[in-house]
Amino acid sequence: MTPAATIALRELRGGLSGFRIFLLCLALGVAAIAAVGSVRVSISEGLSREGRTILGGDAEVEYDYRTATPEERAYFESIATRVSEVVDFRSMAVVGDERALTQVKAVDDAYPLVGAVRTDPPLPLDEALDGDRVVIHPVLAARLGLEVGDEMRLGDKPFTVAALLESEPDFGAGGFGLGPRTLVRAEALDGTGLLSEGSLFESLYRMELPATTDLDAAEAALAAAFPDSGMRWRDRRNAAPQVERFVDRVGSFLVLVGLAGLAVGGIGVSAAVRTYLARKTPVIATLKTVGATGSTIFAAYLIQIAVLAAVGIALGLALGVVIPLIAGPIIQARLPIPVALGIHPLPLMEAALYGALTALIFTLWPLARTRDLRAASLFREATGTGRALPRPADLAVIAGLVVLLVGLAAWLSGIPDLALWAAGGIVVALLVLVGAAWGVRALARRLATSRFARGKPALRLALGAVGGPGGDATSVVLSLGLGLTVLAAVGQIDANMRAAIDRDLPERAPAYFFVDIQTDQLDRFLTTLREDPQVERVDTAPMMRGVLARINGVDAREVAGDHWVVRGDRGITYADQPPEGTQVVAGEWWPEDYAGPPQVSFAEEEALEIGIELGDEVTVNILGRDIDATVTSFRNVDFSTGGLGFVMTLNPAAVAGAPHTHIATLYAEEEAEARLLRAVAGDAPNITAIRVRDAIDLVTEALGALAAATSWGAGATLLTGFVVLIGAAAAGERARVFEAAVLKTVGAARGTILASFALRSALLGAAAGIVAIAAGATAGWGIMTFVMEAPYRFEWVSALVIVVGGALATVLAGLLFAWRPLAARPARVLRSAD
Amino acid sequence: MVLSLNDAALSLDGAAGRVDILHGITLDIAERQTVGLVGPSGSGKSSLLMLMGGLERATGGTVEALGRDLTALDEDALARFRRDHMGVVFQSFHLIPTMTALENVATPLELAGKRDAFDRAAEELDAVGLGHRKGHYPAQMSGGEQQRVALARAAAPRPDILLADEPTGNLDQSTGEQIMDLLFGLRDRHGATLVLVTHSMDLANRCDRTIRLVDGRLESEAVREAAE
Repeated sequence: MTPAATIALRELRGGLSGFRIFLLCLALGVAAIAAVGSVRVSISEGLSREGRTILGGDAEVEYDYRTATPEERAYFESIATRVSEVVDFRSMAVVGDERALTQVKAVDDAYPLVGAVRTDPPLPLDEALDGDRVVIHPVLAARLGLEVGDEMRLGDKPFTVAALLESEPDFGAGGFGLGPRTLVRAEALDGTGLLSEGSLFESLYRMELPATTDLDAAEAALAAAFPDSGMRWRDRRNAAPQVERFVDRVGSFLVLVGLAGLAVGGIGVSAAVRTYLARKTPVIATLKTVGATGSTIFAAYLIQIAVLAAVGIALGLALGVVIPLIAGPIIQARLPIPVALGIHPLPLMEAALYGALTALIFTLWPLARTRDLRAASLFREATGTGRALPRPADLAVIAGLVVLLVGLAAWLSGIPDLALWAAGGIVVALLVLVGAAWGVRALARRLATSRFARGKPALRLALGAVGGPGGDATSVVLSLGLGLTVLAAVGQIDANMRAAIDRDLPERAPAYFFVDIQTDQLDRFLTTLREDPQVERVDTAPMMRGVLARINGVDAREVAGDHWVVRGDRGITYADQPPEGTQVVAGEWWPEDYAGPPQVSFAEEEALEIGIELGDEVTVNILGRDIDATVTSFRNVDFSTGGLGFVMTLNPAAVAGAPHTHIATLYAEEEAEARLLRAVAGDAPNITAIRVRDAIDLVTEALGALAAATSWGAGATLLTGFVVLIGAAAAGERARVFEAAVLKTVGAARGTILASFALRSALLGAAAGIVAIAAGATAGWGIMTFVMEAPYRFEWVSALVIVVGGALATVLAGLLFAWRPLAARPARVLRSAD
Repeated sequence: MVLSLNDAALSLDGAAGRVDILHGITLDIAERQTVGLVGPSGSGKSSLLMLMGGLERATGGTVEALGRDLTALDEDALARFRRDHMGVVFQSFHLIPTMTALENVATPLELAGKRDAFDRAAEELDAVGLGHRKGHYPAQMSGGEQQRVALARAAAPRPDILLADEPTGNLDQSTGEQIMDLLFGLRDRHGATLVLVTHSMDLANRCDRTIRLVDGRLESEAVREAAE
């Protein structure tokens, strides 16, 4: 065994008692990351394990606005053992004058291929949907005051509510559902007037495939058999891609928040190692005196720290495994998806790696400093006045480890841009906090000796303790400050997003969207609304759905990557002249009655992002038909207003004869909304009205869930920060016991001493809070301005809560360790120090 | 009497059980007297000094200072009593490390609500020859300098009683002598009663009275003629 290892083992015989904070900091950071990662993998595995049920079959083919052709249908029958057809669309459920948006799922006899629909009262689906009967979601029933046996209308036809829907197995199919579900037999829709040509609907063909089917081969064969059919294939391996992607993103984001927590923990780890090394100064000095080299001592203490870090990481991993298992039922209850809880090695390895790197980064600095100090300097170090930088080589290693950690986070999170920004943010925040701590100490030193503090002994004692040598100001401001910064950033962003959606959007957004307006209904629809004095404005546009398939002959996804414009189908319109308010910013709009080769006007910002230029050739697939159009102009389109906005506008002749409907937006006084809705519906029951406020509520709800999850992550960071605070308070307890004894000797009453302790804690906490607000507000401004492209406004309430909270947390941590100093008899303390 | 102990006793509970430190100490010290407490290590001299300063609470008998029964006062009342009437000097100086020399000296004056605390502290530092070290922290000063700051701190409030617990114990002989000269000089200037714990008979002999303790009991007392 090497001398370093021997020394390390002997030193470790002393036990772990001085390392509680070290272990706790590391364990908490690792546990948070391990728990988030485990839950993320649990959900992903749950989704893939239940993929067949969630999808409603082994594979699914989806078409927009059309059903399968007989040839396509025959092909499905030829490869599958069973096929089920589902048509999904939005409509209005009507009872008397009451109307509510519903997401209709029209099914055949084979539905569901996998799993079962559960209803209340429990009925076999065949019976529940027999004839003109429907099964509706309890929310829809509540909105319309419906009970089982009551009647409601879909389009022109009445239906009887047979049962309420408790659960449907294939929830993965329904993406962003604005309305509660209505289940109905497809044949029963005859006579409703719904699903006419140009209506917006999706048809889904679920297939039960033989066990031997190669899913990739089946997908390739189908694509080859029906090229450019506009079909989308999904199979049981990725049954709910949207959900999976969402969970993945949220999970990755939370891991980044967890990394901030680990950085806070790192500060605690570093402080603990510094305290430990300070305590070991005589030992180190003695070892050096008897011939140990700097490297031997460095290695000996590195081994000790490595052993301790391994213990801390193991504790963290154990917590990271146990927490999701304990919280399993709660997580499962809150998610509409199956969760495969258990021990997942990959996220645990990821968390362990982060933990090990963090421990190394934060301990190398104090460790490296001991190597270069002479025995005599080490003795002097005990007074806390030494401030040596590590060697350049050590600094380079630390920098390298930081780069490795950030690189790993960027790679493993799958959101490299955000990871790099977050890491940059953490590093900048740490630097700012180091500067702030230095500033706070300098200011406190100045104030302590200024006339301002004279005659106020409690305040001057507090200022002296903050600004004087050997204080814990830096580690308190760093640990609490970073935790609060994360919380402040979340608070600022969340409050601003809510304000943007809740307050600003409705001011500009229309009250209602109307879809599925048939061309022959348009005039009457517009007349009804425009004649009403409470209607401010009605905008309308023809709309068809299409896919941007190719750009200059190359697959659009190859050119645009994952840009939202090429992700699935988009609304496409046509217009003879630029619609009112349109601003053509480049190129020229086509002449009136233009009938030449197709031309398209593209939204400027999106064109720039994708890299489309004037003169480029784009291929748009509308209802299975490819239209090659030349980009002849760019327009300014503001999608943030919630009004009518299309990425692509074609010249009318390009899509002449293509079946389509019209879309409209209604801007009206709020109290007139219900009346207007009834007026429109009375004329045309097939027109679907979507209340914008409902859509906003849905987004707000999703945002609320995200903010809540992030707040939990930030909470874990803050908890670690609090542990560091406790550590700092505990480490400073001996000094405070001494201080209190001296102060009592020279005449200070306990109240004065306590006030001084509380004041110094409050000063540091408030300083950390103020820096956190500045850093959080900067992060909030950056994200709102550059990512969300929305106005930023400083949110006072969240800021105030954080400053006060920070001060209270430090005061609490300080007071927890104030009892012994206050209770100690001066004689015993001072004589034991003699 | 400035200090009056009547059958005072001190026992402490430690890990090894109860330990009797002082037994039946009866002692009166008059105004402006200087008293040296001597005896072998562990004889209880520092404990006796702590009882006199109210820094330790007697477990038997009474301890009176300036007519006040210290055993009847609570912690805060004792602190205020020391603030108004006592100055204490320790072997290990016991300065507050986060305060400069000037701040250390000014602290008891500030606690007493003196508006000119810093001016008086500066004067006191000048008096002990440390006018040029006012802004230094204890860690930046030598042992002798730290003890001079401690002396200035003890003397600054013009206490009636000065208690010094082996004030030269951590210093070399020459520095120790300078400190003792300063201590006696301060005492003479302010006219305080001085009680001094020391191992040095030379120092003890500078006092009006020398009291010897052995095993927590008063063994003998020598009174110099001038004091009588």
